[in-house]
Amino acid sequence: MKKVLEGSHAVAEAVRLAKVQVISAYPITPQTHIVEILSDYVTTGKMAAKYLRVESEHSCMAALIGAQSTGIRTFTATSSQGLALMHELLHWASGARLPIVMAEVNRALAPGWNIWNDQTDSLAQRDTGWMQLYCEDGQEVLDTTIQAYRLAEIVNLPAMVVLDAFYLSHTYEPVDVPEQDEVDRFLPPYEPAFILDTKQPYSLSPLVTPAAYMEMRYEIAAAMDDALVQFDRVEDEFAKIFDRRYGAVEAIDCDDADIVFVTSSTVTSTGRLLLEELLPRGEKVGVLKIKLFRPFPVEAVRRALGKAKKVVVIDRNFSFGASGIFAQEVRAAICNVPGHPPIFGYIAGLGGRDITVQLLEEIYFDVKGSNTPRKESIWVGLQEVNRAT
Amino acid sequence: METELGLKKNLYMPRTSVTTEGNKTGSWRFLRPRYEEKTSPCSTACPAGEDIARIEMLITQGAFKEAWETILRENPLPGVCGRVCYHPCEGSCNRREFDTSVAVHTMERFLADTAARNETKTALKRLPHTGKRVAIIGSGPAGLAAAWFLNMLGYDSEIFEAMSEAGGLLRWGIPAYRLPASVLSNEIARIENQGVRIRVSETVSDSRFEELKTAYDAVFLGCGYWRNTTLNIPGEFVSGVEDGLSFLRQLRQGAKPNVRGVSAVIGGGNTAIDVARSIIRLGGQAVIVYRRRREDMPAFEEEIVSALEEGVELRELLAPVQIAAQGSDCILTVQQMKVEGRDRDGRGRIVADGTSTVEIPVQRVFVATGAAAAETWHEPPPAEAEGQTAGSLALHLSHCTLHQGSHGTPIIYGGDLTNTNKNVTQAIASGKQAAMALDTFFQSGAGTIRERLAACLVGEGPSLSFEIYMNGPRKERKPHIVSYQEINTDYFQFEPRVIQPRLLIEERSSSFDEIELKISANTAMREAGRCFNCGICNNCDNCYFFCPDVSILRGRDMTERHINYDYCKGCGLCVVECPRNAMTLYEEGKS
Repeated sequence: MKKVLEGSHAVAEAVRLAKVQVISAYPITPQTHIVEILSDYVTTGKMAAKYLRVESEHSCMAALIGAQSTGIRTFTATSSQGLALMHELLHWASGARLPIVMAEVNRALAPGWNIWNDQTDSLAQRDTGWMQLYCEDGQEVLDTTIQAYRLAEIVNLPAMVVLDAFYLSHTYEPVDVPEQDEVDRFLPPYEPAFILDTKQPYSLSPLVTPAAYMEMRYEIAAAMDDALVQFDRVEDEFAKIFDRRYGAVEAIDCDDADIVFVTSSTVTSTGRLLLEELLPRGEKVGVLKIKLFRPFPVEAVRRALGKAKKVVVIDRNFSFGASGIFAQEVRAAICNVPGHPPIFGYIAGLGGRDITVQLLEEIYFDVKGSNTPRKESIWVGLQEVNRAT
Repeated sequence: METELGLKKNLYMPRTSVTTEGNKTGSWRFLRPRYEEKTSPCSTACPAGEDIARIEMLITQGAFKEAWETILRENPLPGVCGRVCYHPCEGSCNRREFDTSVAVHTMERFLADTAARNETKTALKRLPHTGKRVAIIGSGPAGLAAAWFLNMLGYDSEIFEAMSEAGGLLRWGIPAYRLPASVLSNEIARIENQGVRIRVSETVSDSRFEELKTAYDAVFLGCGYWRNTTLNIPGEFVSGVEDGLSFLRQLRQGAKPNVRGVSAVIGGGNTAIDVARSIIRLGGQAVIVYRRRREDMPAFEEEIVSALEEGVELRELLAPVQIAAQGSDCILTVQQMKVEGRDRDGRGRIVADGTSTVEIPVQRVFVATGAAAAETWHEPPPAEAEGQTAGSLALHLSHCTLHQGSHGTPIIYGGDLTNTNKNVTQAIASGKQAAMALDTFFQSGAGTIRERLAACLVGEGPSLSFEIYMNGPRKERKPHIVSYQEINTDYFQFEPRVIQPRLLIEERSSSFDEIELKISANTAMREAGRCFNCGICNNCDNCYFFCPDVSILRGRDMTERHINYDYCKGCGLCVVECPRNAMTLYEEGKS
């Protein structure tokens, strides 16, 4: 049934439909609407779940690790500082092979204290062993959250569904909310690979010596690789029932493009408008949307960029001392391809600043007029600042 | 590496069935938490040293009998004290800094009334007979307390009372609207049932006193202050001038004197207030004439407030200079006074305001400016050097004085005769101290009394605990007095103090019925639940829930708690989360 929903509420509907049994969260803007409505569902009995109040995000993830270890489905949502506080337990969740699903609303890290959109918080967690799925709109948020449980439970790795602060979390759009029986057909009850059981007690994750640790890590790496394959299969199954699919990447008009914009999250929608603006004028431009960031779909990216003469990466994030993080990943993906195109890295929209079609158009013509990148990262739209004396 | 959708793999996951008990994380510890009960500020403020934090805890649990017995271990007169004590406990209650103090006196009275209504019998531990007999002169609060505690310690205690009924000032000096006779009789009956013999209508003269010294192993003198002090002004003894204490006694004996018209009551203490309020109840008008200001009055503030509510007039800064009879009336001449500087006791220095005097025509005058011992031999011999010389002994303790002349019978003077603060609960404290001192005297000699009593102080004292003297569990309490800052107020909510139901003012003016009415058990439990239980464990189990190492071990009845130091890492969470400071964190290796 079509409903007009906030991005946050699209997440909540998906969590309800996934029949999650334990929810725990610590409130932080802009994530709060998600767990607000979920706590309401739990209180009113709309969900047969337990809602755990905790004193911090660190405790929240610790609680979910314990809960999920008993063989049930769990959920949390967080943002920015909250995610950073979870960091230690993020490694634990993946190392313990627990398919926990989290909604992560991209918010800038402080200082300066800023509640608006910026991807650095989730991208800084790229090495924690969590799958990361960046969403473009409300429908994708709902669908991806349901799919995330299926995928996570197949490969026994946790998954992060990522959405932009306000541009997506607080924006109302028509969203098709599926019926419970349809979701049940797609998402079977959770069958844990192992459970903690007080009747047959054992402890998990004891001391592991060098003799075994590396193999454990390799298993996680292999599971991540497997996730790339399983992602497509999950999408196939999903499409059979719901007739919607997104792809790990989506190449939009890339086949004939000289210049391809690599985008993620809601900036992709702006990229779609850019194409509407430029293609009729005869410009050879395409957009490559990257949805799946972990595992990174290297082959798909190589294929999509195979014919481009120049690649532009729009990063709403930054790795200090290096460059935009998507740009790093794209460079790494294509560096072993002979004759690969140059990468033009652009940094835009940090801390919630708007990325407009006009801005992308300026970038397009800047790149069109350059043979090679002037700098590894070009920060666009910087203003003069008044410094304290 | 590919798997079919929905097919479960065997994960390469480390797991072990070996218990982690082998990993004794306690070896990491450099701080050691301990269960360590401490002293609540109320209990040390209580002259009788009642274990208030525990009493309130027991009320909360509905254990009314145990709570009542907890009082009786320190104070044999809860029904009296719940009514007439000026409750310094509430003045030092940590809860005052949160919202308002706990109504401790209301709880005490509730327990006493409940025990009386249910005719609850006590089962307090008594030590075996010592074979020694102690004569107690006077059955006021000091004498009753001395007899009660001596009885507990295994002595035959026998009280000699000059009046026809026991109780002393409690019976004859406090009006019934504050302390009904039935309440007092009930308490005295319990003391007698415990084995104390009270011989009423037996006046002890100075010669009889000498006989008692030889017939008994010790004598306690708690004769009180029964002689009204005089004003030393002209006309003091004209007709129409009466002494306040005698007036109160007549009322308790059943007299209904005619006090129509206006009566002047001279004085600012509790007796003056009692006289004035009694006059109102007899249909008269009362004017309290006081030479200082209201804030200087030694009477309890609550009593002053009630008196004014009931229509008593207070005239401050007026010193009586003369009383003259005029027909059947009196003319009271007073000097207008003023405040100039300060006295040594901190109160304003009162001096005459010029020479102007005022004449107040009244129908009669009551003098209630203070009292003194009725006989000189009631009081301890004049101050002499303390110590033991040539077999004689003089030991001045905080609430009593012990004398022994040349290996003779030890005599203890107590109550108002020796107390600085002369009120009921201090008198009880005196009787208790006397009993403990006397027992120590017989057990281990006079030289050990001070040390033995110092070991029984509640907090820093001077309140003493009989339970500690008897080696009860309270002995484990540390003297440290829990401050408000040491309470974890996150665990408490603002909660209004119980509203004491009282007679309407118009109901009070026509009868001597008790003003303060009873409260229900539910109300009492709710009020007791406001108590922080400073310094004592009430089994809230916060330590158990918060311990990240599952190192809090509970006994089978879920009350005894121990720390398993094999695994306690000394994080201190239990100590921080203890709402009432019943735990302490020590550096490892130090105490």
